[in-house]
Amino acid sequence: MIKELANFKVNGRLYEVIIEPHMLLIDVLRDKLGLTGVKYACGTGDCGACTVLVDGKPILSCLTLAVTAKNKNILTIEGLAQGNTLHPIQQAFIDHGAVQCGFCTPGMILTAKALLDENPTPTREDVKAALDGNLCRCTGYVKIVDAVLAAAERIRKGGKG
Amino acid sequence: MYRVLRPFEFFEPTSLDEAIRLLNIYGDRAKVMAGGVDLVLKMRLRQLMPQYVVSLQKLPGLDYIDAGKGAGLRFGALVTLRSIELSPMVQKEWILLYEAIHQISSVQVKTMGTAVGNLCVATPASDIAPALLALAARVKITGADSDRVIPVEHLFVAAGKTILEPHEIITEIVVPSLPTGTGSAFMKLAKTAADIAKVNAAVTVTVADERCKEARMALGSVAPTPIRVTEAEEILQGNKLSGKTIARAAEAAAESVTPITDVRSTAIYRKEMVKVLVKDALEKAVARAKA
Amino acid sequence: MAQELTSVGKRLPRPDAAPKVTGAAEYGSDIKLPGMLAGRILRSPYPHAKITKIDASQAKKLPGVEAIITFEDVPKSPFTRSAMAEALPPHVYEGEVLDQYILSDKARYVGDWVAAVAAIDVSTAEQALDLIEVQYEQLPPVFDPVEAMKPGAPVIHEGKERNIAANISHAFNCGDVEKAFQESDYIAEFTGQNSKQKHCHLEPDVALAYWDTDGRLTVWSPCQNPHLAKKAFARRIFGIGEGDIRWITPTVGGGFGARLSLCVEPVCAMLAKVTGKPVKVEVTREEDFAGWNSRTEQRQSIKMGANKDGTITAIRDRIISDAGAYFSHSGTTTAVNMQMTLGLFRCPNISGEATIVYTNTPTTSGFRGYGNPEGAFVLQQVVDMLAEKIGKDPVEFRLKNIKTVGESSFFIPVPLEHCRLEQCIRLGAERIGWKEKWGGWGKKKEGRKRRGIGMSIMNHSSGAGGFLLEHSNAAIKLHEDGSATLIVSPCEMGQGILGVLSQIAADTMGLRYEDIHVMTGDTDVTLFDIGSHASRSTYVIGNAVMDAGSKIKRQVLELAAEKLKISADKLDIEEGRVYVQAAPQEGVSVAEISHDAIYNYELTGAHISATGSFQSGTHCPNFQAGFAEVEVDTETGVIKVIKYVIAHDIGRAINPQNVEGQLEGGAVQGLGYALSEDFIVDKRTGETLSDSFATYKIPSILDIPEIEVILVEEPVPSGPFGAKGVGEPGITNVAPSIANALYDAIGVRIHSLPMTPEKVLEGLKAKSLKSSSFRTTR
Repeated sequence: MIKELANFKVNGRLYEVIIEPHMLLIDVLRDKLGLTGVKYACGTGDCGACTVLVDGKPILSCLTLAVTAKNKNILTIEGLAQGNTLHPIQQAFIDHGAVQCGFCTPGMILTAKALLDENPTPTREDVKAALDGNLCRCTGYVKIVDAVLAAAERIRKGGKG
Repeated sequence: MYRVLRPFEFFEPTSLDEAIRLLNIYGDRAKVMAGGVDLVLKMRLRQLMPQYVVSLQKLPGLDYIDAGKGAGLRFGALVTLRSIELSPMVQKEWILLYEAIHQISSVQVKTMGTAVGNLCVATPASDIAPALLALAARVKITGADSDRVIPVEHLFVAAGKTILEPHEIITEIVVPSLPTGTGSAFMKLAKTAADIAKVNAAVTVTVADERCKEARMALGSVAPTPIRVTEAEEILQGNKLSGKTIARAAEAAAESVTPITDVRSTAIYRKEMVKVLVKDALEKAVARAKA
Repeated sequence: MAQELTSVGKRLPRPDAAPKVTGAAEYGSDIKLPGMLAGRILRSPYPHAKITKIDASQAKKLPGVEAIITFEDVPKSPFTRSAMAEALPPHVYEGEVLDQYILSDKARYVGDWVAAVAAIDVSTAEQALDLIEVQYEQLPPVFDPVEAMKPGAPVIHEGKERNIAANISHAFNCGDVEKAFQESDYIAEFTGQNSKQKHCHLEPDVALAYWDTDGRLTVWSPCQNPHLAKKAFARRIFGIGEGDIRWITPTVGGGFGARLSLCVEPVCAMLAKVTGKPVKVEVTREEDFAGWNSRTEQRQSIKMGANKDGTITAIRDRIISDAGAYFSHSGTTTAVNMQMTLGLFRCPNISGEATIVYTNTPTTSGFRGYGNPEGAFVLQQVVDMLAEKIGKDPVEFRLKNIKTVGESSFFIPVPLEHCRLEQCIRLGAERIGWKEKWGGWGKKKEGRKRRGIGMSIMNHSSGAGGFLLEHSNAAIKLHEDGSATLIVSPCEMGQGILGVLSQIAADTMGLRYEDIHVMTGDTDVTLFDIGSHASRSTYVIGNAVMDAGSKIKRQVLELAAEKLKISADKLDIEEGRVYVQAAPQEGVSVAEISHDAIYNYELTGAHISATGSFQSGTHCPNFQAGFAEVEVDTETGVIKVIKYVIAHDIGRAINPQNVEGQLEGGAVQGLGYALSEDFIVDKRTGETLSDSFATYKIPSILDIPEIEVILVEEPVPSGPFGAKGVGEPGITNVAPSIANALYDAIGVRIHSLPMTPEKVLEGLKAKSLKSSSFRTTR
């Protein structure tokens, strides 16, 4: 069992963590860095609740060995708001009733951010295709799609995205 | 059921030689990791318990997509499904591969997972494998002894098993260019839009002078491995692609398989759906070939 | 009081949303307590086995293991997982079967709890589980309820002959159904089987527990009814007083009825007791699937009679409910099934009987709808079958037989005070295009893909007043700045109830929505409430909030009257300001009143505060009509839902966005229930094969059809600002309306859920065999 002192860059901040190869990124984020916004819901890669952005791309932290995420830029839900100013996607989720129990929400919002960073003018179908790896049991998805489209428009009009 | 993984030793070799050397030393006690999506899950569930994991992620020169007009498509072992999906060349020239990948629901899984990794997992229900089979793709294997290039269809031995020796890695997938007049189609049935196939089918047909010059057909989820259906291909080859011929080919494809009943579907349904999906796929491929 | 509503009726953002979008919301698994241990549970690999020996000696030696418990270490008094049962009247509770122990000496399903470990971390705990040696004496298992009732079948619970846990008669049987059938012009019968639909709340079960040195227990868990769970712990399990337990509910990641059960809390509390330290028990999703919560599979045959004028004459319902390995909610869900199903239509002859049977499969419980979706799948198809025989339009047939105000509600002793079902039916039919799209009975459709249209109607509760102890209490106190803290105990599991209750509180008191702070989730602070279920929270808790709020308002007005020297009945409050009705520019802020009440140096001060209480004696039914348009591929059997329309009798939508969210969310759960969610247990080994989101398919975002929600708002006098409940109803009409649409499209009915393509094709084959054999014998 080889322990190593590893560097993680999360939400723009540098962390030094002692890790072992078998540790999952989600557990390092939640247990070692106290970033409990990322959620463990299935552990099989089917629900997307554990999604975080690594170098801007959405990945499943429950199936990622922490050791492979060293020195990469990781964004968790805690890093999205700028101080007290919510990201337009976060605000849109609140405004459009896209949040119910909230357990899928951090993963859903980050996946949506990855979509809008890549495609700022998605259609309804684009949004659905981008979020198909994120399950929600509460909302029926209708208002989630509304919120992402509203956020896209808000960002286009100059909201900070 | 387990929440955490068992400890193992982790290597991140920076050269292919080093990677193969390690795999040669540790043999069955080691597992290769590219994206890790399948491996990490199986480790958590204790279906795989490697003492050593050899990551390919730091190997240089394996993350490329080369697609030249007429020169075929080559991509390396570290190319993610997402990269292939987003490649304009793939979308244009190898639409079958694009469609097979595009319908995989999770952007996250496509971002993490590699095409090579998908093949190595050798699940009978792979969506990529039938597409690559129908595209006559080949894989380049590098091992301790030598390199070899084999057709994708020779890769699979049994459910979850490839012909790879412990010290061998697939380093590249090569997909030939499709001749003019070729159309293709990918079909799949599943319980929901984000699901593993009950049955999937991939076909390519090359049409010249109203006749089928060449056809390749592959099925997934109806056998322990993805399979090519040569009986159906032979019915098509050289003939006019009429509704009747297509129906006969579809019938032959269904006759050739003995699928199982499992948590996703029944043997009877799968067998019948082979006929329907092959017919639908051929009709679409032919329409595209003529366009 | 001609007060303008500034909060009620508005699409206001809920107070719990912001922490959820920033990641600040704290769920059970996010909580860390100093010195906390990790608890994991050892589960049986066999479906039916006596535990003859457990040797934990090797496991105990593992460094970091602090406690291992088995059936020998737990209290010997049995209980029921259904904490909700504590709200049943005592004579009904007698009928509940108490067959659960924290850990059992007998495994009754693959996954049953055998032992538990508390260790310094999860890794150590899991290693310890592997070291516990259990000797099982395997017994023959039985997986099917009909098989389980046969003489000679393996006995799962001592003393339960033929594995019959209970026989239940519908509470409101009446008339003489056999006689009525003989006299009826038309009869139709349908047998249907629903499935053990899994809740799949995204947050897996979790609990923390800690006994402090005074012997007081604190439990943290996503519990839907903490005050009732507290009582179960106190009186049924641990033999302590209700005052000795504090139940804290963190942010809850979905409930849908699963969290009305005692989940991992008893094991967790036991480990905490033995170790003297805080313990957190978590489970994996695989363990959740092969677990203790799902819909009960209720096979029912409904026979219905009608006369040629279209009047329903008799309904007979026979149910076999597969409880799984333990009783839990299987009795109450079956009883509610009969209540809501048999009480929907006007009918003078009703007979409902049910048998609850044990099998060696995972325990079931209550899931959104609580028996209503189970019954609707069968009843709404019989209704269509009868309509077809009579030759009547399904819309018209239903309109003819639905009850009206003044008749009994589905809970017979209580009359219907309010019902807008007729309007729901008409509006929904218009929106789906019923007139244009329903071509009549027996219309042959052509082509590979065929479209069909179908409907379903239902009634549901706004709390189970008359059946359960529908008792809610609320407390409100004003702060010096005129804002208020509202103390309530629903369970906010995503439905938005905290925001809704705040809206009700705001408009009751005349304060602004943003000036209501909500305090919930701690039984040391909140007053008694039976929690959130039976779609009760808006109606019952809302009324308790109004009671408290009116008292606050009265206190404020009386103090303002003194200050303004005008009598209280000439004053009103709006947006935090007391004003003179006749001269609105005159007034005083609530802040000033509140502050001065406290900072009163005349010895006549007080803190403006009040408690409110409400007990409901009615279900105050809400109603809904659902319409589905489908397209069926006759070659693949795939059913595609093109459009689904919901018209719901909501009374008043306190927050229309929330109401839509409940209906849309429920509808998509209903879609999964109808088409893709198949809970499969291996019939040879008893292993749960549906053990992950890969093998158990809930709808993804690409699966949703176009959903339209119509809110029919006509206030019900007894509801807070006229509101009725809406938490559960979204799910009920989906499967039956799709089933009826399927029949319209291809003339096939499927007798079990989910209605998979495989079953559709089988149905088409059987149909063509029937019609072809008819041709040859002519």
